[in-house]
Amino acid sequence: MKDIILAIFLGGFFGFALYYVGASNPANILSMLRLKKLRLMKVIVFAIGVGSFLVGLTGIFGVFPVNHFNIKTTNLGVILGGLIFGVGFGYGGTCPGTSVAGIADVAYKKSISTILGGLTGAFVFAISYQAIASTGLFNAFALGKLSLFHISDSIPYVINLGMSGMLILGILFMAIGYILPGEGRKM
Amino acid sequence: MKNKWLVQALVLGISFFVAIYLMQPIGVSTQFNVLDGIIQSTVDQDLITENPDRSTGYESTNAYYDLHDGKLAKQIKEPINYSFVFVLAIPFGAAIGRLLNKRRRNQAFVDNPIDDYPLEGNLITRYARSFIAGFLLLFGARMAGGCTSGHMMSGMMQGSVSGFLFAAAVFIVAIPVAIFTDKNRKRQ
Repeated sequence: MKDIILAIFLGGFFGFALYYVGASNPANILSMLRLKKLRLMKVIVFAIGVGSFLVGLTGIFGVFPVNHFNIKTTNLGVILGGLIFGVGFGYGGTCPGTSVAGIADVAYKKSISTILGGLTGAFVFAISYQAIASTGLFNAFALGKLSLFHISDSIPYVINLGMSGMLILGILFMAIGYILPGEGRKM
Repeated sequence: MKNKWLVQALVLGISFFVAIYLMQPIGVSTQFNVLDGIIQSTVDQDLITENPDRSTGYESTNAYYDLHDGKLAKQIKEPINYSFVFVLAIPFGAAIGRLLNKRRRNQAFVDNPIDDYPLEGNLITRYARSFIAGFLLLFGARMAGGCTSGHMMSGMMQGSVSGFLFAAAVFIVAIPVAIFTDKNRKRQ
């Protein structure tokens, strides 16, 4: 029961944040991807930095629950999937999370249509999973659950820095977000 | 407000952090499979069956739902769990955001916030684009094992190598596609 209450609170907060930064409106994402207005890019990059910084900070003080880390597996599927995802992202100006938040924003009909398309795409993937996996896609370039930093003894890492690495990564992201211009190219 | 972007970034960043601190990293795209599975189960009763020998207690005739000892199969059969309710709560949070903002609350619901979405026409011409985009987004996200939320935001925030690779792959394609499909693009 506690989980469900947390889910409502945290999911609601995330939805609120997506709306608040303007990500639930495809027009804003498209002007970001067309490099016309980089404001949303600034916000997202800085926000990732804030998250990383807070993880690093609480981690250094030993109050971050390291078993909450969930590092996803690296393999060729991540790259190929990312390329396919990128076509949808650039074409529709939305992504799975923002399309769900978009139900409450101005373009709600487009969001519902994106969600229906998404359900179809996920379904087609599920029924063709065996065929896709048999190509060896998920075994190529398979680096496993790899992290940049040594955040937990059970997760392999690239750089021998612990939580301080997360802190530095956070500051770096925040700096990039801060420097990025709010405006973009003139059209 | 000059620095409103900064306040927005802090709110978004804190939403990432609170989620991972209290529970787990934010993720959305897996839940599309869960909803698919729930719908499929109503048609195909044998799709997911109980298996007491499994740690999850379930198995599926679909290889994807059956992965990791039937992890997805369990989520489909027991959907009132953290991850699924999290995604269901997203639009309600967004609706609260809309109600709280006087200026944006009064914005009319529009069909076409983007000038290059077709304004007229039948259902297909009006919604084909967003439907196709959704199809590609989720097909790609499931292949990659996560979407903008799970891989890009939560992933990069945790220093996950896969998150950086996913972000690079997405933007290499998304930027040219967005520019190329811009109807207002100046023709050279």
